[in-house]
Amino acid sequence: MTRLRRDPRTERAAARTSGAERPRYDLALKAAPSRRPRRDPRAEAAAQRVPAAARLRLDRSQFGAATVVATHVPERQTDKASPKPIIVENPDFLVLVVPDMAGGRLGEHDRQLFGAARELAGKTGATLALVGASSADLGPAGADRVAVVARDPDAYDPDARAAEVVAAMRALDPKHVLFPESADGGDLARRVSVLTGEPLFTEAEQVSASALGRPARCRKVEQRSVPTRLISVAADSVASYSGAPREARNEQVDLASGPAKTAGAIVSATRIPADPATVPLALADFVVSAGNGVTDLDMFRQVVAALGATPGASRVLCDAGLMPRAAQVGASGTVLGASCYFALGIAGAPQHLQGVADCEHIVAVNTDLHAAMIARAGLGIIQDAQLVMPAILEELERERRETGT
Amino acid sequence: MRIAVLLSAGRHPVSGKPTLPRTEAQAIRMAAGLGAATGLHVGPDAFPAEAALGHGLDYAAHIACAAGSDPVGPLAARIVSDAPDIVLAGRRGQGGDETGLVPYAVAARLGVPIVPDAVAMRPATDGLVEIDQALPKGVLRRLVVRTPVVVTVHPAAPPPLPFAFGKARRGSIERIAAAPTDLAAGAPPPEERPYRKRPKMMRAAGGSAADRLKAVTGEATAGGAKVLDHQTPEDAAKEVLAFLRRVGVLAPASAAGPGRRPAASEDASRHATS
Ligand SMILES: Cc1cc2nc3c(=O)[nH]c(=O)nc-3n(C[C@H](O)[C@H](O)[C@H](O)COP(=O)(O)OP(=O)(O)OC[C@H]3O[C@@H](n4cnc5c(N)ncnc54)[C@H](O)[C@@H]3O)c2cc1C
Repeated sequence: MTRLRRDPRTERAAARTSGAERPRYDLALKAAPSRRPRRDPRAEAAAQRVPAAARLRLDRSQFGAATVVATHVPERQTDKASPKPIIVENPDFLVLVVPDMAGGRLGEHDRQLFGAARELAGKTGATLALVGASSADLGPAGADRVAVVARDPDAYDPDARAAEVVAAMRALDPKHVLFPESADGGDLARRVSVLTGEPLFTEAEQVSASALGRPARCRKVEQRSVPTRLISVAADSVASYSGAPREARNEQVDLASGPAKTAGAIVSATRIPADPATVPLALADFVVSAGNGVTDLDMFRQVVAALGATPGASRVLCDAGLMPRAAQVGASGTVLGASCYFALGIAGAPQHLQGVADCEHIVAVNTDLHAAMIARAGLGIIQDAQLVMPAILEELERERRETGT
Repeated sequence: MRIAVLLSAGRHPVSGKPTLPRTEAQAIRMAAGLGAATGLHVGPDAFPAEAALGHGLDYAAHIACAAGSDPVGPLAARIVSDAPDIVLAGRRGQGGDETGLVPYAVAARLGVPIVPDAVAMRPATDGLVEIDQALPKGVLRRLVVRTPVVVTVHPAAPPPLPFAFGKARRGSIERIAAAPTDLAAGAPPPEERPYRKRPKMMRAAGGSAADRLKAVTGEATAGGAKVLDHQTPEDAAKEVLAFLRRVGVLAPASAAGPGRRPAASEDASRHATS
């Protein structure tokens, strides 16, 4: 257990008495106790005292018998009530942002896109997000206005989306339009560029109000230009917005003025999930990983197959030749892009945790309550992995029997 | 099915020597599995057409034009006269501006749809073609598209056929002089300076070393952990499965069979005309 570090400033702030005009402090107020149970040596000694002895005799094997448990730990006063949002009432110009929002949520790339948009908008401009469904994250990410366009989230019709963006451009006349340089975002940007006939500044790596920069000729040169109207922003090169949340005011946009709808050439579109058994580890969405705490690897492989996951391992198992090197997760193995990670018998060394830094949901099974992997996990289970694995298989089997398939 | 493969004058990223970009060589292989393929290059130099022959084409057309002129016009004119069912192109150029805009401009000029990032293609019934499109995280989107169509090829497509010198010698190249086009149409070339490598953006990291370590291992975002101690393995297994279902990586118990969620269908048929 780590000891809490004292923060004199917050302690002083907590002792401040309200009402007085000048700052006044009630310094007699007790400092917040640490979370560690406090030992009471006298009570311990009394408990260790061997009765019926003429002289004072202590039975030291009775250690901790009378440890006094910590006094009540008050909730820490981190009053993080959301600060007032920044409002741009009459913006000089608009920056239209077209995030991907895969699965209806803002990804890291989308946040960086808003960071770039805020950079271009400055103090006087406003960013406007053109999204399929509103999200509470848009304001903190840096959106001043939000325009929701009703569209089927599952349908694939890029031409219709491009027409939507062009219609929004005609209705709002934004100074800049920003797209993420991702699979679908980059495609949309190019479609909008040819529809409007305006040049597109692709894969911008530097974005500021005065200049854009992008690599060209196999990263031998850097092309710079004043900010153009259409920009696509490369991943991981622009910082996401970190200021106070923005207003994210809902705005109605009339999309009737868009270009005429062309006949769709796409007859059908089906999403085919990646095959977890063959997908490269870096691309896998759900990884189940074994560490030194797992001895029965056949059982582990059965669990992986039953859960429909991609197998991973810690370095110890790969070094021992029990798992292929390609399965190693971590700094010297593969850095995962998975959304869920299930660690069985892994201690969670920093080198290993670097590989799972981007994973949103982590489940860990470990016999050690204080393992770093348990601290990092969203669900930590203190149990023997060798017993949990067959239990999972059995539970899945039971469910299959019950549903009768 | 007749296929035209657009060929560009690429540069090798390390040596700077002229090469055919890899995605275009992959496009040639993809085209070979579909039908009769021809190459098409617009530019001052015939090199890409020659390289394409070595990678598996029998015939390529080279439309000579001045360096720096816009290739879209001559490409579109030639495609209109050839009328192929499918036009294949690379995803991005290599060694030039690398904007990836040319296939889109060609498609717009021809008035045909464009499908980006193909990894596999199969002919379907009358005038339809089935295209597998690569999405992030190894997911595919299977599209059935009406021809004619412009398709760009993703780097995850099957690797190109090796270059064969004999094949390059046997193939034929038709050389055509292009009508002089408007040089440097559009915007003036942007200002260029030597590339300077910049550090990649990292997750928001604080000042101290401990904060940076937390940021890099993801501990900064972790929180609200639920730790279950003293549970039977059976209860633990139930908890794990419930958690996995809640985050959506495991199919609900009622769904048939183990494993993944069922494939989400993105039926776009209502957008199609009949
Ligand atoms: C330069 C360098 C680079 C490295 N790169 C990587 C890397 O990329 N990837 C990587 O993984 N490691 C890497 N390492 C190694 C890393 O430091 C650790 O040694 C390694 O991750 C530990 O693996 P582990 O957690 O499986 O094993 P251990 O540290 O042995 O941990 C085993 C865990 O399993 C638990 N356990 C034991 N028995 C059971 C049981 N029956 N049920 C449940 N839990 C049980 C234990 O409590 C313990 O927490 C690197 C090291 C160095 C020096």
